[in-house]
Amino acid sequence: MPETTLAAGVRIRDLTKSYGPVRAVAGVDLDIVAGETVALLGPTGAGKSTTLDMLLGLTRPDAGSVAVFGRTPEQAVRDGLVGAMLQSGGLISEVSVRELLELAASLYPRPMAVADVLARADLTELAGRRTTKLSGGQAQRVRFALALVADPELLVLDEPTAAMDVESRRRFWASMRELTAAGRTVLFATHYLEEADQYADRVVLMAGGAVVADGPATAIKAVVGGRTVRATLPGARAADLEALPGVTAVEIHGDGIRLTCTDSDAALRALLAAQPAAKDIEVGGADLEDAFVALTSGATA
Amino acid sequence: MNATYLRTEVRRTLRAPRYFIFVIGMPLGLFLLFASLYGQGTQDGISGTAWLMVSMSVFGAMGAAVSIGGRIAGERQAGWTRQLRLTPMPGWTYVAAKAVTALLVAVPALVLVYAVGALAEGVRLPASTWAEAAGWSLLALAPFVALGIWLGHRLTNDVLGPLSGALFTVLGILGGVWFPVDQLPSALAGVARALPSYWLAQAGREPLAGTWIGWHGLSVLAVWTAGFTLLAARAYRRDTARN
Repeated sequence: MPETTLAAGVRIRDLTKSYGPVRAVAGVDLDIVAGETVALLGPTGAGKSTTLDMLLGLTRPDAGSVAVFGRTPEQAVRDGLVGAMLQSGGLISEVSVRELLELAASLYPRPMAVADVLARADLTELAGRRTTKLSGGQAQRVRFALALVADPELLVLDEPTAAMDVESRRRFWASMRELTAAGRTVLFATHYLEEADQYADRVVLMAGGAVVADGPATAIKAVVGGRTVRATLPGARAADLEALPGVTAVEIHGDGIRLTCTDSDAALRALLAAQPAAKDIEVGGADLEDAFVALTSGATA
Repeated sequence: MNATYLRTEVRRTLRAPRYFIFVIGMPLGLFLLFASLYGQGTQDGISGTAWLMVSMSVFGAMGAAVSIGGRIAGERQAGWTRQLRLTPMPGWTYVAAKAVTALLVAVPALVLVYAVGALAEGVRLPASTWAEAAGWSLLALAPFVALGIWLGHRLTNDVLGPLSGALFTVLGILGGVWFPVDQLPSALAGVARALPSYWLAQAGREPLAGTWIGWHGLSVLAVWTAGFTLLAARAYRRDTARN
């Protein structure tokens, strides 16, 4: 297979898809460089799954184009270049985990050895177990194994660690690190924002069918100013706090207040001057969750 | 279609409890029961016992063919067919593998009933006749395979289960699988001779009398097969359309 086409990575241009009056995906542009690990974040209904479906050739776009390693998604799938883990991806009954993976491996031109897949998906001990006797997290690892067995250049994972416990999740990402070290391209959708922050080279935020932010997790944090001020302030009024300089968002929970700031120094000085009763003050960096809320609420308003 | 895929499909079917109950157990049990009750005399030029033996063997084979519908419906619901679309396997292979599997797992259903007929019920036939009966039964199973594929792509499993059970029973009774059609009212006997189940049962029995179902029987089976195949193809296309 020519390296030049693998180097083309994934190229999505002006991708659009409507279901009736609903614009599920409204003009998405996205480039993924070969070897990159990209997280796709967004609230339910943001258009993530529809975008992934079009990337995989399961859904036909109304307009726009998708190229995977310089070819159509269908061709990329036929060439065994793509492995995908769908959220709803069902397992069949009356087979053991090993038999299921042997079956899947037989469908690809250059599959990964089944023993290798079992090890990477942390399934070696469960190889002989029937698929109907697996816990939710174990079934999720089998879905991951099904995505791996193609030995794909592009891995597409829709909420890969859903239903996994903390330990499984840690092992899952450790396994992913090994895989991506070999130069694979990964696109994953997740609800665990810390996963995107920790494991992705780049975070793409979607809302209302469009990409609202695209960059390294650190850059996404910078977009919203990067700092929060927390304090205890009984009887605080949102309007007073919003009027403070450098404050972009205010949350009040009982006696606790939380200010999202572009300039936390100015905000803090003004807060202390205007509200001498404020105590237990903490200043911290904004996490990705904040970036997420700020950006997506802005786009849907 | 690769060998691993087909082997796994066959193995899965044989492991399902439903297979043992409806395809193997019930036909065998019913054959033993009916043979002791109605095994005397002759029917359609063969002994009553042989007649019943073929009836119950095709009854099991019919079960094997129609049950693939339930598997298809279940695998569609579970999202497995969607997962398969993310592999290089061409879509038609899935359906073809199901059809071949149905025929393969019908073989034990036929052979076991024959074996009981030969060993316990004293049915004596030349080896070539056994082979002809089995071969014709499998050939005549074609409309039921297509029917199963059609229903599997149209219905969900909870509808399909009871519906195929009912359909199966009606086709069995009206088609003279359970008792000779000449015992039916004459209007119904006419209907029977237009049904695929009638010609399936006859296809298995005629070789025992040294004959075959003839061009007429073959045509009826071909028309049903073509009809169900058309419906199955349409349902398959609709089910797998990228929208």
